[in-house]
Amino acid sequence: MALLEIQGLTKTFGGLTAIDDLSFRVEEGEILGLIGPNGAGKTTVFNCVSGFYEPTRGRLHFAGHDITGWAPHRICRLDMARTFQIVRTFSDLSVLENVMVGAFSRTGNRAQAERAARHVLGLTGLAAKAGVRGGSLTIADKKRLEMARALATKPRLLMLDEVMAGLNPTERQAAVELVRQVRAEGITILMVEHVMEVIMPISDRIVVLNYGRKIAEGRPETIARDDQVIAAYLGKKYRSRR
Amino acid sequence: MKKTTFTQRTIIALVLALALVIFPFIVSSPVTRNLMILIFLYAGLAQAWNIVGGFAGQVSLGNAIFFAAGGYTSTVLLQHATVSPWLGAIAGALLAMILALIVGWPVFRLGGHYFAIATIAIGEIALALMANWEAVGGARGLTIPFVRDGSGRPGDTWFWFQFNQNKLPYYFIALALMIILAGLTAWLDRNKPGFYFRAIKNDQDAARSLGVNVLRYKLLAFVLSAAFTALLGTFYAQYLLFIDPESMLALRLSILIALIAILGGVGTVWGPILGSFVLIPVGELSRAHLGGSGRAVDLIIYGALIVLISVFQPAGLMGLGRRLRGR
Repeated sequence: MALLEIQGLTKTFGGLTAIDDLSFRVEEGEILGLIGPNGAGKTTVFNCVSGFYEPTRGRLHFAGHDITGWAPHRICRLDMARTFQIVRTFSDLSVLENVMVGAFSRTGNRAQAERAARHVLGLTGLAAKAGVRGGSLTIADKKRLEMARALATKPRLLMLDEVMAGLNPTERQAAVELVRQVRAEGITILMVEHVMEVIMPISDRIVVLNYGRKIAEGRPETIARDDQVIAAYLGKKYRSRR
Repeated sequence: MKKTTFTQRTIIALVLALALVIFPFIVSSPVTRNLMILIFLYAGLAQAWNIVGGFAGQVSLGNAIFFAAGGYTSTVLLQHATVSPWLGAIAGALLAMILALIVGWPVFRLGGHYFAIATIAIGEIALALMANWEAVGGARGLTIPFVRDGSGRPGDTWFWFQFNQNKLPYYFIALALMIILAGLTAWLDRNKPGFYFRAIKNDQDAARSLGVNVLRYKLLAFVLSAAFTALLGTFYAQYLLFIDPESMLALRLSILIALIAILGGVGTVWGPILGSFVLIPVGELSRAHLGGSGRAVDLIIYGALIVLISVFQPAGLMGLGRRLRGR
């Protein structure tokens, strides 16, 4: 059974249909990339799955539970974690304290939470900055911190929302490496991304969205050659260029 | 490194506590003693406020209702059911906690600003209610009769929580409450509830995504704040032996409580205590030297302080201290 199953998801805001009858699955252990032009509805999908939006229609299943309409904190307790497109660091807390908030979802004991947090900081390369105030980090470090914080909740599924945005090539390399490490730990990853050079090599499978609808699904190599995908990104004119 | 600082801070705290315990034996002027008691009382109220307002970031401008819940419950139980004020204090705290749940449950779903406005409204409603409720004294308030000793003089009794000859126990009870609240705040600062409160204050949605039940923790902060504020309300009632809606439910009291915590430094352990040690003497001095117009002038001072703090030093006196130490 798939770890995450989205069935017929539809989300409307008044007259606007942001997501239209979307269905796909995420299998345990894979890295699934969710791509599509701006405004295709990718972050809306995340918000529906993680409980921040209530789906208008459709059902969501995670780890064998029907989580449609569940509150975000309850979904997190089921081992799903997410990052946000615009980083939401706890600015007044230190890097360590930020991650400890995540760790506290697994334990009520302060010493345990601190140990778990330090472990995650080590994994994500933030150990040296443990005492730094969250608000004063660089954007790359804030994104790294957001991932670390989500990892501290020990998720089975980690949803990454454009972690590569705003990073220079060096930072991007490090982030890709981190994503690979996370998967090596056995965590399933669903990532939304714009940066093609990153998401194509790293994903096992890709789902392509356009105007809230799925227009393609499959392995990266297949997707890159798909007519509809090319048309969506580059316009119909380029479809026949091959 | 941080561990050493924590131990250092604890030692400093213990030394100061000891100094305060010895203080009344060195300075025995009743005026000073009264001032210290007021400082401890307001420090306690500010610390209780700090839990919901400073840590969790939910600005309550209606904590006076819990103060009144405590004072009125214990006094009414004393007068009508001859219940010891100590038990009355617990009843008052329980009532306050229920009130906090009733108010918080619907209002916390609204944004932070709406919460503040709702607490102001509830405070004003409570004031109007109590001022017109004749059965509990109405606008005239309630007086607690002296407990007299064998010769008819007002006496000292722990059971009835009155100390008329030797007022020292009031000093130590107030000091004890302040220290207990400081201990609670320090514990919260280092443990899960405190972390969750601060996460909620910084970014509610991020907190949700990390498994924090935001509504539950906001309610927890509010309930804790309410319970301790109520206990202090009972103390106040037994200290002055007179309560009325004006002294217990006025908006200016709710604002003052918040202001002390903000002046000292929200979300810190020492802030509310520092704020009280600075603001209460200032308030008393202005009242004493400016005679009848004292009340209005201290309101002007409060207002000016709110503006100054917000503009120049939002982190309060604690933040100023950090800046001076070059951190």
